[in-house]
Amino acid sequence: MMKVFKSREFLVLVLLVVLILSVATVNKAVLNPITLINIVNSALFLMLIAMGQMFVVQTRGIDVSVGAIAGISAVIFGFALNAGLPLPVAMLFALLTGLVAGSINAVGVVFVGIPPIIMTLGTLGAYRGFMRVLTGGSWIESIPQSIKSLAVTRFFSVPLMVWAVAALVVVVAVLLARIKAARNFYAVGDNYDGAYLLGINVKATRFAAFALAGLFSGAAAIVFTGQIGFVPMQTGNGLELKAIAAVVLGGVSLMGGTGSIWSAVIGALFLTTVDSMMIFLKVPGSWNNAVAGAVLLAVVVFDYLIRRSVRRRQLAARAAEMRRSEIEAEGAKSMPKSANKTLQPTEASS
Amino acid sequence: MKFASWLRSWEFMLAIVLAVELIVLGIINPAFLNIENLLFSTSDFVHVIIAAIGLTLIIMTGGMDISGVSVMGMASIVCGLSYVAGAPIELAVAIALVVGFAAGSFNGTVVANTDVNPLVITLAMMFLYAGIATGLPTLLDMMGFASMGPGGFEAYQYEGISGLPKHFTWIGTGGIGWIPNPLIITIVLAAAASWLMLGTRFGRYLKLIGVSADVARYTGVPVKRTLIAVYAINGFGAAVAGLVLTAYFTSARSDLGADALLNIITAVVLGGSSIYGGQGSVLGTFLAGLALGYLRQGLLALGITSDVVPVIVGSVLIGTVALKIGMSVLNTKRANRAAYAAERMAVSGNGG
Repeated sequence: MMKVFKSREFLVLVLLVVLILSVATVNKAVLNPITLINIVNSALFLMLIAMGQMFVVQTRGIDVSVGAIAGISAVIFGFALNAGLPLPVAMLFALLTGLVAGSINAVGVVFVGIPPIIMTLGTLGAYRGFMRVLTGGSWIESIPQSIKSLAVTRFFSVPLMVWAVAALVVVVAVLLARIKAARNFYAVGDNYDGAYLLGINVKATRFAAFALAGLFSGAAAIVFTGQIGFVPMQTGNGLELKAIAAVVLGGVSLMGGTGSIWSAVIGALFLTTVDSMMIFLKVPGSWNNAVAGAVLLAVVVFDYLIRRSVRRRQLAARAAEMRRSEIEAEGAKSMPKSANKTLQPTEASS
Repeated sequence: MKFASWLRSWEFMLAIVLAVELIVLGIINPAFLNIENLLFSTSDFVHVIIAAIGLTLIIMTGGMDISGVSVMGMASIVCGLSYVAGAPIELAVAIALVVGFAAGSFNGTVVANTDVNPLVITLAMMFLYAGIATGLPTLLDMMGFASMGPGGFEAYQYEGISGLPKHFTWIGTGGIGWIPNPLIITIVLAAAASWLMLGTRFGRYLKLIGVSADVARYTGVPVKRTLIAVYAINGFGAAVAGLVLTAYFTSARSDLGADALLNIITAVVLGGSSIYGGQGSVLGTFLAGLALGYLRQGLLALGITSDVVPVIVGSVLIGTVALKIGMSVLNTKRANRAAYAAERMAVSGNGG
């Protein structure tokens, strides 16, 4: 239990509550449950993309193409629906598109050995261009409105999509806790060579991370299309960087091996809440990016300072320990030393 | 011997690729090879090269700075706002350059003093600077400077600031003889950066930090100071790129250059820099930037829509790196085989 309170995810969650409460002192409307539900609802898209990104960052990779993957999945989803395919089949197509796009990244990174940032930056351009080629640069409208009814359906005044994503998060969290292979993501990210020596299939693990990032982006595309009812060309534009910001904010280090699915969830919630709070504080929307950047910078620098002070205290403790044992050793050594000295003359005489 | 190794260098290969590319595009469309046209069409993409030169120096140290694209927009809007607020254009340009330099120094200070990945830091800075650039007009209004601008600054947020003086826009649109000004600026900056890298102690430090920051520290290299300086140089370069773009478009906008990130990093990597640090050349970046820019121009001239261009640029980026990895694997294999053969010779020589 203590561990939960000390985690970075918890720290950001507390910051989130503090943020909402302090805005509430200025504008009470924030605390309206409907407002809070709407914030969660608008965080879903980023949250799903961030969940996929989490696996990649955890294995010490980075995927800047996830936004473009979401875009291309949304386009395929729109095409499938317009072709008259039933909703579940269209969803399957969107997920498959994401999976394939993610796997292409994985092949380049894992089997060719291209650095992740270069590979995914390349596919970012390629997927986004491909998306424009597919649609001829125009939006996909006239999507059957059955998909939109999914977004407006509410149970206990909470949208169906929120329930669905919440269920997904819980299922993924349980799976990650239950499946032994899920620990491989941590091992590979923390120490690639060590994981290899332990007999972990490092290549398969990294491959899975990139493929999962694609899959989750496909899922995000379904949510996005459902929420707005058409597919604009900008779908997912710039979200790759927001998704990285979200997972880093939530406690996944780019050096790999840390963080959890909750990092992605809480990080995405935080960034979306910051955007909404700006409205309640009547700050012009043009400042959203600046605030998001300042928050991210503050959190990573603050996190560094905490880690440094912890490390310094550990080092100081170890130094004190060593000095103490040295003094003890000095006391023990002084005997043989004097014995040595007394021996010397006898050696010389013999 | 030295000549032969020069022939095998990455820069020479890039020069050949550039020449072949121009010839092929010229054969398909002879109008493309008009010298004046070729020179002046560089103005469309030299901002990418200018930003890439600074990034090359940073990537030499094993670092990364993706906030340059936001600094470009920030420098542009700062220059424009200063001008409409009544500053003479020379002062406005100087303020914008100082802002770029300061933004870069700030990046460098955080990178040098923490162990946080430079990519994360500059990601945050990218959002921060982009937000400041879009929010600055409204901030000026809120702070009570509205009276200094004609009817408040807020309108400039989306419309951009036009009506900049002629002798400023001449920097972007004019030229000396056949050579357009932006290209001259690019060449001067590239030459200066090349000299920094090859002819000064600072350049040696950059490379040493890129190979191993720890070794550099133990050797007595002022690692922190060097890192702050190189990020500051990059911020300055990005500001120059933003101003050149402003002069070329004759309008100051906060989102200028925002979509250049893929092209900038592609130019650096295609130019032969390793993102793991310790390897890179400004000349390579310059040539790669030209090759990429002309590729784009040529494709557009051939009637290929601009939608397909990022697909091709992305493929070129991935292909180049895959090629380099393949070549280094082959070289290692060849070296191993040679070593094995030499070993066997030595053993059999001893036996006989």
